[in-house]
Amino acid sequence: MKQQKSDSNNRLNTADIHINSTFLHLMQIHDSAFPIGNYTHSYGMETFIQENRLQTKEELLEFCKTFLMHNLLYGDVILIQEAYRATNIRDLNKLQSLDELCGAIKLAKESREASVNVGKQFMRTVLPLCADPFLTKWHTCVKSRKAKGHYAVVLGIYCALNEFDMEMTVMMYMYSTVNGLIQNAVRSVPFGQNTGVQSLYELLDWVTEAAKMAQKLTVDDVSNNALSIELSSMKHEYLHSRLFIS
Amino acid sequence: MPFVFQQPPLKASRALYDGPKDRAIVYIMESSGGMVAGDRNDMTISVGHEAKVTMIQQSALKIYPSQNDKQCVQEITVDIEDNARLEWMPEVVIPFSDARFNMSTAIDMRSTSTLIWGEIIAPGREKRGEIFDFESLRSTFSIRIDDQLIAQDSISIQPAEMNLQALGMLENAQYIGSIWVVSPNAHKLDVRGIQENLLNNSTVRIAITRLESNAIHCRFLGAEQWDMQEELKRVFTMFSEQL
Repeated sequence: MKQQKSDSNNRLNTADIHINSTFLHLMQIHDSAFPIGNYTHSYGMETFIQENRLQTKEELLEFCKTFLMHNLLYGDVILIQEAYRATNIRDLNKLQSLDELCGAIKLAKESREASVNVGKQFMRTVLPLCADPFLTKWHTCVKSRKAKGHYAVVLGIYCALNEFDMEMTVMMYMYSTVNGLIQNAVRSVPFGQNTGVQSLYELLDWVTEAAKMAQKLTVDDVSNNALSIELSSMKHEYLHSRLFIS
Repeated sequence: MPFVFQQPPLKASRALYDGPKDRAIVYIMESSGGMVAGDRNDMTISVGHEAKVTMIQQSALKIYPSQNDKQCVQEITVDIEDNARLEWMPEVVIPFSDARFNMSTAIDMRSTSTLIWGEIIAPGREKRGEIFDFESLRSTFSIRIDDQLIAQDSISIQPAEMNLQALGMLENAQYIGSIWVVSPNAHKLDVRGIQENLLNNSTVRIAITRLESNAIHCRFLGAEQWDMQEELKRVFTMFSEQL
């Protein structure tokens, strides 16, 4: 990874972030307390924990970097961006094919189901907050089983309708996802709170770099090289005792 | 086999019947000995209504170094009609040092038809110490059942630009194996029982999962070729016998 410029390493440099209620709402929907059930999923991490392969802060960081750079970035992040663009031109057919693709790339059954469940819960939570009829249209599409309702797609739709900045949207999404993983690791490994805080702090540059890289990616770049995480996600459903749904 | 259109170096054998009576066996031969930079292999396979065929590649697919920066491309397109059956026996893809390879396999089938597909990607000529020395490898495998995309597995490896040994990536594994199964009877399989009987040790890790629409996927990650290949063939045969 390239060395960050010194000014972008200064996390007090917030001059280019326009703080208003729109930005605060973007933060709100990515808050760990936003009730969409993200905290109940480990996306395969629990298998690593039970196999004693995730016991140190270094291992936690390595796991999160792999998940971020080789699963999220080339998977859900691309789908969020494509759904965002498709929403801007109100292309419902494109959204349906993105939703189908979102399910097809999630080979592990539990991760695929998690994506649908979190997506449906997100839809239920934000429907009363958004007056745009296009969101209702997508909701109808999911209810009539023309789409499964994957989280990445509905998130892309909602963020486009709210005119959130796309780069900021995927940055917040990646931040909240790795934060969720770290909080789950803190509770289940367990790690001390400070380990969690330091780990997330060390990942901030990776998240911002990934958000920049994402801008150049299209649906043709979809891939998943985090094969060991995927395999662990597949094995998760056979674990004897589990704290997390996936 | 009603029609075979072929152009060297690719060749399909005539249909042989030395297994079950209703099952044709067709060998795919590649007479050039491997793909050289800029080469392109296209295969289109149509399995007609109620036809049953096992396809076997004659040898591993070798991808030679890309001296001119051009990539080798292989595209396989498969159409399986109602109540038909295709088994594609697993063979190994070996990308040599500096090779660039882009392969895609697109399968379009009906929910009444059966597919058992296996494949293995090697890190190179491992015994010569050629491990992940290739330039790039992109593999896209997709299955559509009744026009619905139910699986898309895209792997894109550029060894010089990624830490393949990192936690969550390949770790100690060098070989990537996959089995894809689609069958109207797949729901009868006890996947938990299969998972518990899979070889899982320090050199081979395997997991099985259900996809949508009566489809199953098995992923193999192996540190050594022999153990993984033997286990992959065992699991492939088990699916073949049970479905």
